[in-house]
Amino acid sequence: MTTRPAPRRFATIAAAVVGIVLLGAAPGVLSPFMVQFVINLFMLAILAESWNIIGGFTGYASFGNVAFFGIGAYTTGVLMTKVGWPLAAALAAAGVVPMLFAALVGLPILRLKGHYFAIATLGVAETMREVVYNLEITGAGTGLVMPIARTPALFFYLMLGILIAVTLVNVWLAHSRFGYGLVAIREDEDAAAAMGIDTARYKTIAFALSGAFAGLTGGVFAYWITFIDPDAVFRVIVTIQMIIMAVFGGAGTVVGPLLGALVLASVSEILSTHLVALAELFNGVIVILVVLFMPKGLLEVVRAGRSSLRVMARNLREYRV
Amino acid sequence: MRRAEHWKNVITLVGASVIVLLLLMAGVAAAEEIVLGSAISQTGKYAREGKFYVDAYTLTVDAVNKAGGIKVGGKTYQLALKLYDDQSDPSLSVRLFTKLVSSDKVNFLLGPYSSGITIPASAVAEKFEIPMIQGGGASGKIFDRGYKYIFGTLPKAELYFQSAIEAAAKMNPPVRTAALLFSNEAFDRSVAEGSRQWLKESRIDKVYDEEYQPATQDFTSILAVIKTKNPDLILVAGHEENSLNFIRQSQAAGVNPKMMVFTVGPPTGDFRKTLGKAAEYVYGVTPWLPDMEIGGDIFKSAREFDKQFQGRFGYAADYHVASGAADVLAFKAAIERAQSLDPKKVRDALAALDVETLYGRVKFESTGQINMSQVLVQILDGNVVPVYVNGKFVNKLVYPTPKWGERK
Amino acid sequence: MLLLQVLINGLLLGGLYGIMALGMSLIWGVMNIVNVAHGALIMLGAYLTFWMFSLWGIDPFVSLPLTILGLFVYGYCLQRYVLNLIVRAQLFLTLLITFGVEVVMINVARLLWSSDLRQVTPAYAAANFEVGQITIPWVRLWVFVTTLVLSVTFLFVLEHTRLGRAIRATSEELRAARLTGIPVAHIYAVTFGLGAALAGAAGGLWGMLFPITPVMGGSLTLKSFVVAVLGGLGTMMGAIVGGLVLGLTESFAGTYLGPTYPNAISFGLLVLILLLRPTGILGRRA
Repeated sequence: MTTRPAPRRFATIAAAVVGIVLLGAAPGVLSPFMVQFVINLFMLAILAESWNIIGGFTGYASFGNVAFFGIGAYTTGVLMTKVGWPLAAALAAAGVVPMLFAALVGLPILRLKGHYFAIATLGVAETMREVVYNLEITGAGTGLVMPIARTPALFFYLMLGILIAVTLVNVWLAHSRFGYGLVAIREDEDAAAAMGIDTARYKTIAFALSGAFAGLTGGVFAYWITFIDPDAVFRVIVTIQMIIMAVFGGAGTVVGPLLGALVLASVSEILSTHLVALAELFNGVIVILVVLFMPKGLLEVVRAGRSSLRVMARNLREYRV
Repeated sequence: MRRAEHWKNVITLVGASVIVLLLLMAGVAAAEEIVLGSAISQTGKYAREGKFYVDAYTLTVDAVNKAGGIKVGGKTYQLALKLYDDQSDPSLSVRLFTKLVSSDKVNFLLGPYSSGITIPASAVAEKFEIPMIQGGGASGKIFDRGYKYIFGTLPKAELYFQSAIEAAAKMNPPVRTAALLFSNEAFDRSVAEGSRQWLKESRIDKVYDEEYQPATQDFTSILAVIKTKNPDLILVAGHEENSLNFIRQSQAAGVNPKMMVFTVGPPTGDFRKTLGKAAEYVYGVTPWLPDMEIGGDIFKSAREFDKQFQGRFGYAADYHVASGAADVLAFKAAIERAQSLDPKKVRDALAALDVETLYGRVKFESTGQINMSQVLVQILDGNVVPVYVNGKFVNKLVYPTPKWGERK
Repeated sequence: MLLLQVLINGLLLGGLYGIMALGMSLIWGVMNIVNVAHGALIMLGAYLTFWMFSLWGIDPFVSLPLTILGLFVYGYCLQRYVLNLIVRAQLFLTLLITFGVEVVMINVARLLWSSDLRQVTPAYAAANFEVGQITIPWVRLWVFVTTLVLSVTFLFVLEHTRLGRAIRATSEELRAARLTGIPVAHIYAVTFGLGAALAGAAGGLWGMLFPITPVMGGSLTLKSFVVAVLGGLGTMMGAIVGGLVLGLTESFAGTYLGPTYPNAISFGLLVLILLLRPTGILGRRA
């Protein structure tokens, strides 16, 4: 991948900075409901971007990333309610603990490929949910009630900060040797190993990074929602949402997961509040349509401009029997 | 990547954002109406119970309006409902309640179903200082956080089995041993906590005390162990599906206690219909029955309420329904008492409220939770018969429960 | 004798788990499609059995062949007109699309039949017989026998009929199968149809024991994963063996460790097997 010419790179960075400043002013301008929606949107975008690290760049489609989210949420929850830690420390732990967990679990699990890897990660997520369900310290089935926070702006900025961080990591991956290594693993792992890349180490680092960000988000989520129980933070559908957003936007790109999160989260929100009974049904239909017509992402279709329909038709036929 | 493609990406992103922002900014304006807002489980694992509340709220709001609405400071207001579906998801519930308060600008809030969802939802009410009355969450944990804006019409979960255990100790021959089985959820754990205390006070030996996962469908292992302990009394705390499964499987496993009591199920019509004859002799608890001599404004008696409800929705009312109706009526009474729509004034009126309704006496303790005793009922001939009320046996009950193999 | 009772409980339930996983194992083994909607197919089978019972009074064991046929047709169409389109796509895309199918099926079921609990209750539903101190419910025994019959029949079809050979040929060497004139799109659809039919049968049997709701399938899909992987992907006998192992594990764990442990142990078992012996108990090394 070649580096972009300097003036355009500058324009991109300038646009990003302006965008961030504008976003920063948002809590004062938008209604409380909109602020809530944007916080949720940031959260989904972070999750999509974090999944992108292991699923998009490295090509290891993990179906259990919600495990890190949940572990992060419970780390913060337990530390704040049972041990009395302040928010900052509890959040830091929410990033570190899932990261270590991911590295530890990754060592054996990343040796698996394809379906086996996907199912194993799913199994890990389910096991973690059951474990948390059974432990007294995590409140078992009753869950944990967090202290009330009356400043939604805090969560807005926390999520925004994490989002910027994870996006920067993705940008770094897109331009660094480490990132090229991950892509090499995705394209042909044996060839990558033959070229001298320590695939085990690379994969584990990617997995751990993915876990750290998902965990951090979980920690903020716990404090934001004021109450967590196993069913709320270890939901399979959250992993599916992460994946479909990344895929829809374009897995393996930097902007893709952001776009996917923005569009799909908004559509879902509008459906939830207006077409209540059919919202979930539409979500399912969207997943099917995206896989059939836009498996390489929305950007691929949009970029084709006038030939979008032809691109979609081609996608439809590309993977058939 | 060529320049044009790059900018196409950016424009797509920006364009999408703008569209999204515009679409979501649509708010709702209210006229001469008092709007009660709520997010209720219309889909998901609590959908069945959630429907009870949707129907109860709807019927009561219409009845209040038909009777002339609510008069505040010389003006008459109509009640209106704004309902969302929380899909049985606590996080969605929090977002929807926030939307109701900040975007839809409803006047007051009605609660969701289940303690698990009510705990976070009530935090929203507290945060924005808008009173919420809920009739679907009984766990003490909802009320022990010192919140001022949450009120509840379901009696404390910890007290659920008190009357049942008291009655069991007074039976002839008295119950000596008991098995306690409860679901891993806020409400049921609270029930279990309280039950342990009542069992100790009644000097009943607890021979089995286990927790199960709410999603459990197969109780055969549990029943196998319980059978070896041979308890006189089995107490099961769980939701309706758990109760249904347990009863069926206890029949298949040949488990024959003298008494079986459930937290959820027996008073509900659907429960008896699904089980048929297997529901006979099962005990349940309820704070409300349509035969009770209670009544108040709008609905002169519990009977009349049940009749109107059945006429409109086609199924009999149970305590969930009555509790939901009471929530709406409590708001009416409090608003009229405060003669104001100011949330703080209405909140104070609620704290001091003491009014008779179709549900009984609505008076909230300082924590915000109502104090009502549970009536022990038994299913006899397909009917829900109250057998132990306020410390006294009423009506003839069948004890001990005939063994499965010996029933007709 | 609690031990014996626990053992028998585990075996009876294990037979049902085996038949549940058989369908998933077939589809996974032949087409490399992990069907996340498997539980939804089981749910559909359960509802079909329920409606035939409650609308027309047909005994659930008697209506089972109809349920099997119905699900076969449904599965055939689903594969032929939707899933065949992504068979050669990346693995996780097939996972995603079957997930979408699951969500759609669950919500359509909800819209059509509501979330009310349904149960199939023939007159003999809770009857049991005693052998010494062991109690055995009749329905569980008949369900177990039915699963054995279905499994044996299915294995026979796979090993000794032309159709079975065509299916196995397609799974082993796609190009060669094509060259010998096997209509692959059709065979794939038939395979999925068979897998769905087995799931439907499992659903019909399940509905005799447990309540039926639109969302009952989620946990069953996960259990089928565990069983299929435990026994060895792609080996049909493996699914049966895996089912029995899981049934016994859950029964023993539930009784001797406590009711909240079986699920945690099942998933832990899944992860352990994947790490230590991914090919499962009966699987051959790839």
